Amino acid sequence: MAGTPPPDAWLLDITESPDGRSVVLWTKERTTARVHRTAVEYRPPFFVVGARSDLDDLRPRLEGRATVERVRRVVLRPSIFDHRPRSVLEVIPTRNAARRSLARSVDELGGFVRYTLFDVDLSPPQLYHLAHDLYPFAPVVGHGAAIRATEPAETVHYTPPPLVVARLAVTLDGPHHGRLPPAEGRIASIRLGDATLEGPEEDLLRALVGELARTDPDVLLTDGGDALDLPWLYRRAAALGLGPQEFALGREPVGFRPARAARSFETYGRILYRSATYPLPGRFHLDRENSFLFDDADLAGLVDAARLSRLSLSTVARQSPGTCFTAMEMAEALRRGLHVPWKKNRPESFRRADRLVAADRGGVIFVPPVGVFGPVDEFDFASLFPHIMVRKNLSAETLECRCCPASPIRAPGLGYRSCTRSVGLIPRTLEPLLTRRIAYKAAAKDLSLPAEERARLTGRVKMLKWILVTAFGYQGYRNARFGRIECHEAINAYARELLADLIPAAERVGYRVVHGIVDSLWLAPTDPAHPPDPNAFARSVSARTDLPLGYEGRYRWIVFLPAVTHGLGVPNRYYGVYESGEFKLRGIGGRRHDTTGLVRRFETEMLDLFRAAPGPDEFRARLPRALRRADGFASQVRAGAWPVEELVISHRIGQASDAFVTFTDSVAALRQLEQAGASRQPGEVVRYVVLDRTSRSFRERVRPEELLTGGERYDPDAYLEILARAAETLLGPFGVARDGLLERWGYGGRVDRDPYRSPESTAQSVLDGVALDGAG
Amino acid sequence: MGRTVPTYRQALEERLKRWDEFARLLTTPEERAAFETLRLGARRYVAQATYVGSPDLLESILLSVLLDLARRLPADETARPAHR
Repeated sequence: MAGTPPPDAWLLDITESPDGRSVVLWTKERTTARVHRTAVEYRPPFFVVGARSDLDDLRPRLEGRATVERVRRVVLRPSIFDHRPRSVLEVIPTRNAARRSLARSVDELGGFVRYTLFDVDLSPPQLYHLAHDLYPFAPVVGHGAAIRATEPAETVHYTPPPLVVARLAVTLDGPHHGRLPPAEGRIASIRLGDATLEGPEEDLLRALVGELARTDPDVLLTDGGDALDLPWLYRRAAALGLGPQEFALGREPVGFRPARAARSFETYGRILYRSATYPLPGRFHLDRENSFLFDDADLAGLVDAARLSRLSLSTVARQSPGTCFTAMEMAEALRRGLHVPWKKNRPESFRRADRLVAADRGGVIFVPPVGVFGPVDEFDFASLFPHIMVRKNLSAETLECRCCPASPIRAPGLGYRSCTRSVGLIPRTLEPLLTRRIAYKAAAKDLSLPAEERARLTGRVKMLKWILVTAFGYQGYRNARFGRIECHEAINAYARELLADLIPAAERVGYRVVHGIVDSLWLAPTDPAHPPDPNAFARSVSARTDLPLGYEGRYRWIVFLPAVTHGLGVPNRYYGVYESGEFKLRGIGGRRHDTTGLVRRFETEMLDLFRAAPGPDEFRARLPRALRRADGFASQVRAGAWPVEELVISHRIGQASDAFVTFTDSVAALRQLEQAGASRQPGEVVRYVVLDRTSRSFRERVRPEELLTGGERYDPDAYLEILARAAETLLGPFGVARDGLLERWGYGGRVDRDPYRSPESTAQSVLDGVALDGAG
Repeated sequence: MGRTVPTYRQALEERLKRWDEFARLLTTPEERAAFETLRLGARRYVAQATYVGSPDLLESILLSVLLDLARRLPADETARPAHR
């Protein structure tokens, strides 16, 4: 395998070598499609910045250590805040794996304050890419380690390498419900690409290795491979006495242990679970269930993100878009000869409390009026926040810079100045992303391109969108490397000012504002018989503000939904249909992952019924029919005739099963799963059907999806409630309320009345009060 | 998430909870409904109050409530010029 890569190849990946002293370059020959492995010795340094005397103090203490290869003084410009080079200490560890622990002990020697460390947590492959002007999937020429990319990573239109993708799926022996593996389960068959392998288990595993060698795929694609297929393959291989040499799924032998253990973690108030990941050096394993980005952005989007971030495709697939963006910032910093601080050491500056109140605000979010409206035109700013960051040069080091005390670029209401002399790191990182997104979006609409190419472009657009969205959030996040809270505030200030300016601008051309959220506006023509030209409005705003306002389309009608608690409109809950017949749904059941099939079907039928209504009046005229359809659903549910597969409720577990103090449906499901040998971690999802919600027995209360036999009798009242809630969600603004529906449907349980009905929703029911009478 | 200052929305909800105590001693349905109107008025203009970013929470709440009441007045009342 070891050898020299031929000229004219693709660089697929760079991985760390187990010897700890080198990295491995994986290249794919363009003509023969053969993959070559080249190991190169590479031990990148990290840097220590501090006062001269502190560095003099540190040096002898490091020199004697076994984990230190070399320490020397070098002169460089470490951070974006340093305006001239300074003398720093360069430290090279003996093994790459020791980088972090060595850095930690340096930090400790300085009492966590005297030393600032740089370039610690970039991986050796990342640093190798950046030090050699390389990037994942680069077309390269040259031999051995002496390869160079033939075009820069930022090239907008490029040919990605032809990757061989094979699906991998393992089927276990014996009867099993869903994907619940029995503890002693054996592998019955394995599918790899087009081949299905069967036979005695050991022959099967050897055949898989043979098939991998024959077809030599670059990417293994699985659904749940990190949680099921890979651990199971390794578990059975170990049980049969196969070693890493005989059973390698990557392109070089590697131990059967995961590179990263499974974990539960909390993010934005949700508990999530991420499976362990198993490295396959030289090959990529993409697990659709363990990848946030893969589902949405597709392989083309991931390849694009890998190129720009210098992260391996396997890493990109498993990380958040925020990690990708941070890696892109790091890459930009290193390209400019700067270095990456290990921990952010920039406290917020002190401010008066009233200033803080003034500064710490989000974007403009209106409370929409509740009810049905139409026609309504929708306008969105494309990537508004990133565009503001670029246009206003907002970056940690360009805000309130020392060089431009008289800068005319000032955040409205806050006065923060932006530098006029040099372009900041964030705008530099963002600008190429914005350019790419616009170029790909335009090209994806070009019908002369093959469908496959357009799908690839769409994948890249989605990926870029996610990265651009995170770029803003990371400005205010305390762990963001190059973030600064004042940037976050300035961006919001510019955005608020923009929306405030748009209200009179819209009114001048003949609109009134119905609703607005940060970067989106819903405008109704004052005279529906003579609506303004929406495209002309968008163009004039874009030209005046230098920010791209897009016309999304005209709604025939749009319904803004109320909050259950107070009855005023909720900014992000609405449904409507464009003139094209396409729906836009936000915050209603069908958009949520935990919706039952029953609710999804109900919503689809309801929306189909309203779709053809050309306006609000015709929408209201269809309400009686909608209620009759709801009654039809209810009578089927009550009769016990609904198929149980459509009644499966999903629930994400927030805590370990023994930590629950109340007996809930999910606890009942978890207990049964545990007894069947399948424990679930916080952040994983449990799915079940409710059989009798009043039962105190966990077996009689629910049945987990994995244990369904098909003949279950479900609890009709539980599902009538779910149905009534779904109907209220859609039709609440027109006087349809849950308790009324339940009474009408002969619900057997107790109806929990709302504490009060707000005057707002009562008023609306009077206005649209035809609904219930008409259907009676 | 490490927010330094509560948002206007959060501060408003916090204050409205205190108002609930006030409402508990109201004795007629008419008073309770009228009180509910005030609460809704306060919530209706969160976007505008956030935009101002006043350090005086009560100023923003009262302005919202007053505007909500003013918009319910008959049209000729609001249209009359302020100075004669």
